[in-house]
Amino acid sequence: MRELCLLAVDTATSAGAEYADARAVVSRQQHVTTKNGSIEQIADSESEGIGVRVLVAGAWGFASDRRLSDEGARAAALRACAFARAVGGRGRRPLAPLEAHSGTYRTPVEIDPFSVSLADKVELCLRADEAMKSPAVIMRQALARASREHKIFVSSEGSDVEQETIESGAGIDCAAAGDGVYQTRSYPSASVGMTQQAGWEFVQALDVEREAPRVAEQAAALLTADACPAKVTTLVVDGDQAALQVHESVGHPTELDRVYGTEASYAGTSFLKPDDLGRLRYGSKQMNVTADPTTPRGLGTFGFDDEGVAAARQAIVEAGVLTGFLASRETAARIGTGSGGSMRADGWNRMPLVRMTNLHLEPGEGTLDDLLADVTDGVYMETNKSWSIDDKRLNFQFGTQVAWEIKNGRRGRMLRDATYTGITPEFWGSLDAVAGRDSWEMYGITNCGKGQPGQGAHVSHGAAPARFRDVQVGVRA
Amino acid sequence: MTTGALDVARAALAMTDDEADVVAQAESSGLARFANSEVHQPTLIENTTVTMRVVRGNRVGVAQTNRIDETGLAAVAARATDAAESAPDDPGFPGLPRPAEAAQPGGYDEATAALTPEDQARRATAAIAAADVPVYGFFTSGVTDLAIASSTGIELEQRFTDAMTLVVAADEGRSGYAEAVAARDADVDPAAVAREAAEKAVRTADAATIAPGAYAAVLEPYAIAELLQNFAYDSFGGLGLVEERSYFAGRIGERVFDERMTIVDDAADARGLPKAFDYEGVPKQRVELVVDGVARGVVWDRASARRAGGGHVTTGHAPAQDDLFFGPLPQALAVSPGDAESVDDLAARVGDGLYVTRLHYLGVVHPREGVITGMTRDGTFRIRDGKIAEPLVNLRFTVAVPELLREVLGLTRDAKLVNSSAFYGARYPYGIRTPALATSRFNVTGIGGGPGI
Repeated sequence: MRELCLLAVDTATSAGAEYADARAVVSRQQHVTTKNGSIEQIADSESEGIGVRVLVAGAWGFASDRRLSDEGARAAALRACAFARAVGGRGRRPLAPLEAHSGTYRTPVEIDPFSVSLADKVELCLRADEAMKSPAVIMRQALARASREHKIFVSSEGSDVEQETIESGAGIDCAAAGDGVYQTRSYPSASVGMTQQAGWEFVQALDVEREAPRVAEQAAALLTADACPAKVTTLVVDGDQAALQVHESVGHPTELDRVYGTEASYAGTSFLKPDDLGRLRYGSKQMNVTADPTTPRGLGTFGFDDEGVAAARQAIVEAGVLTGFLASRETAARIGTGSGGSMRADGWNRMPLVRMTNLHLEPGEGTLDDLLADVTDGVYMETNKSWSIDDKRLNFQFGTQVAWEIKNGRRGRMLRDATYTGITPEFWGSLDAVAGRDSWEMYGITNCGKGQPGQGAHVSHGAAPARFRDVQVGVRA
Repeated sequence: MTTGALDVARAALAMTDDEADVVAQAESSGLARFANSEVHQPTLIENTTVTMRVVRGNRVGVAQTNRIDETGLAAVAARATDAAESAPDDPGFPGLPRPAEAAQPGGYDEATAALTPEDQARRATAAIAAADVPVYGFFTSGVTDLAIASSTGIELEQRFTDAMTLVVAADEGRSGYAEAVAARDADVDPAAVAREAAEKAVRTADAATIAPGAYAAVLEPYAIAELLQNFAYDSFGGLGLVEERSYFAGRIGERVFDERMTIVDDAADARGLPKAFDYEGVPKQRVELVVDGVARGVVWDRASARRAGGGHVTTGHAPAQDDLFFGPLPQALAVSPGDAESVDDLAARVGDGLYVTRLHYLGVVHPREGVITGMTRDGTFRIRDGKIAEPLVNLRFTVAVPELLREVLGLTRDAKLVNSSAFYGARYPYGIRTPALATSRFNVTGIGGGPGI
């Protein structure tokens, strides 16, 4: 694979590219889903190919080919150059300087998830499925997944890196229905379970079967719960919802390609401007967010990004002030700081984009109970269910699977159909507490979409329960 | 593509002695993406994927590869067999389908298939040159070759093409949107799309705000298509009906929408992006979902139909293996037009309300009630005295789709094909054909930022 990348880069530079890089990727995924005691899906997939990115006279070109052969590598390189020439550029396109790297990275694992048989993965799902059985539950779903990606990156500037990432994940969902009411409950996260860059030991630790009865019981209880009232109140969210809140209202708006408008035609732009860096008050002093592609077990963890930039931790928001952007080499050069480090591509046939790595809400102090204790009247929401945010990442509305009212420092009655809405800087400005390190966990998102053609990304967010004051909850149609 | 997808599917099928079916899908595509009137992300893709499903008794396993040489195909057969052997017996598995004749509805255009990267770049450049406002978007075209071969004797192949231009014209404080998609490149005029978006953008400067509340509104086809696509995930598919997340659960045969609403799924409609068969090789059927406001049915694949019982049968809507989560879904929705001459006519019927060009980032809040939230974007206006008036900032809406479609004030005579694919994964172009629609119930629940970059 390395030789093919070198051949592709050499072909591209010989064809006139002032810069070229090549990524050869071989990936494999296993996916098992059971539903109501039967197999919904048992699939073992692989994909391989090479993607070549070039700069010709200041214009980008990218071409991909599934053939990991000399012919495929040359064809991708020449087609990328031809496409770049055809689209044309506006002259020189500076990239942030980068020292050439040679290196390797591999996810540390205790148990290779591919050493666990598909039959064992099926059994895990079916046991959890069985444990969710309950009269009110009409749909039980369990899933387990494993993936591995082996990638070589070579650039015309001399970078030459090899990486292998391994992911493992599992989760359960159920739905209860009665009298026209339909409610869902999941563990550890909704619909897609929880995945980390880790071996099968992570799935074992999740112990989805143990949590199944609770999940089913809560789904059934939601059928008779009162709807979340509409009011402005104190909101406490669990780590899962805090992670989603960080993803949507901090991660995406701090992607520098969005700030410069290059994602305007699909995912959108950002309310942030380049000169907000170091000045804009994003939230309260309790708000600290870091991007860290070195976090163990993070889905956004790597040794080098897809431009060959070495992984490095970076503050994004410090004590409520914007201090960093997620960047590529091109956008870093444009803003005049850093060297990028957030470029990631979805497989071999997509061009790298500025993506989140691992974006964490740093922990504060205390526990969830400590956060609740300081609430006279409020709502505690748990496990994301729905999400929507505008193209500039300002106005959002999120919903969770379950909520409880908070009365005089304690959890009260269960509430269903819980939603809240806000404006990003105002909302983060109302943050007055984040629970401490012992409550801080990593949450994985495996369905983050961006780009045209569309690309999925896997990212992680460390978060703990968090408390916000004066939030509008209970939005009605 | 030098080797046809059906040849690949046959070669893969020959690698197993078990009951099996094979889907081979080949893509050759180019997408020239531009921002601030400059192409910045041009992507060329050449790929062929093979998905093999092996059946041993009632045990089913699936494997996928894009290595289509003999070694790769043998390996995918071995992994599919291993997956089948790992699966428990599934008494609900309906078996592999038998061969059935599938009409060839067209959808392939030689000239579109022959477009080169240079041609694709020229079309993107034409869009850029036509607008006097900075543009963001893309031109893309591709050819897809989809084939299915099975041990039960199915041998089907369809080649289809698509071409599309999407343009957001925007600068500080103003933005407009337009798109065009078709099976034939000749039916997509990138310059015209860019001009439409730019003309809309110019009208959005100095956007005003309004108070949240219930408004009457005109929704352009872009907005209606987006709403229906999100509503369809839960409500228009057989699995959603079986799992009771569908709004139609317990309502088939009842009046659910205004009597002017008729919605069908018709993959054979030559005005759309025609498809002949589903991912099991079952011929696509025209399905009436809503007729004169009455819920008539949903789309099915063989698995969900068997699970439902009650005489339900597949309608030819089996999804690809990568898209099993929601079950069978309509991918050729068509809303019947109405009697309004234009969106101006619809605005006159609204009198006082809102005009919405498109929507952004929709989220299903309550599937069973069809409650969806999202934002308006790239062209939101006030309607005053029956006329489209001043521009508005982006608005958050939270609507129950059935309520919105129960209180219809009219639909335009003309319908537009709106793209529904964001080109994730393997290329499978599809869209929704719909007129513009006026409703007396569009619930604004929040105020966002202004239009523009």
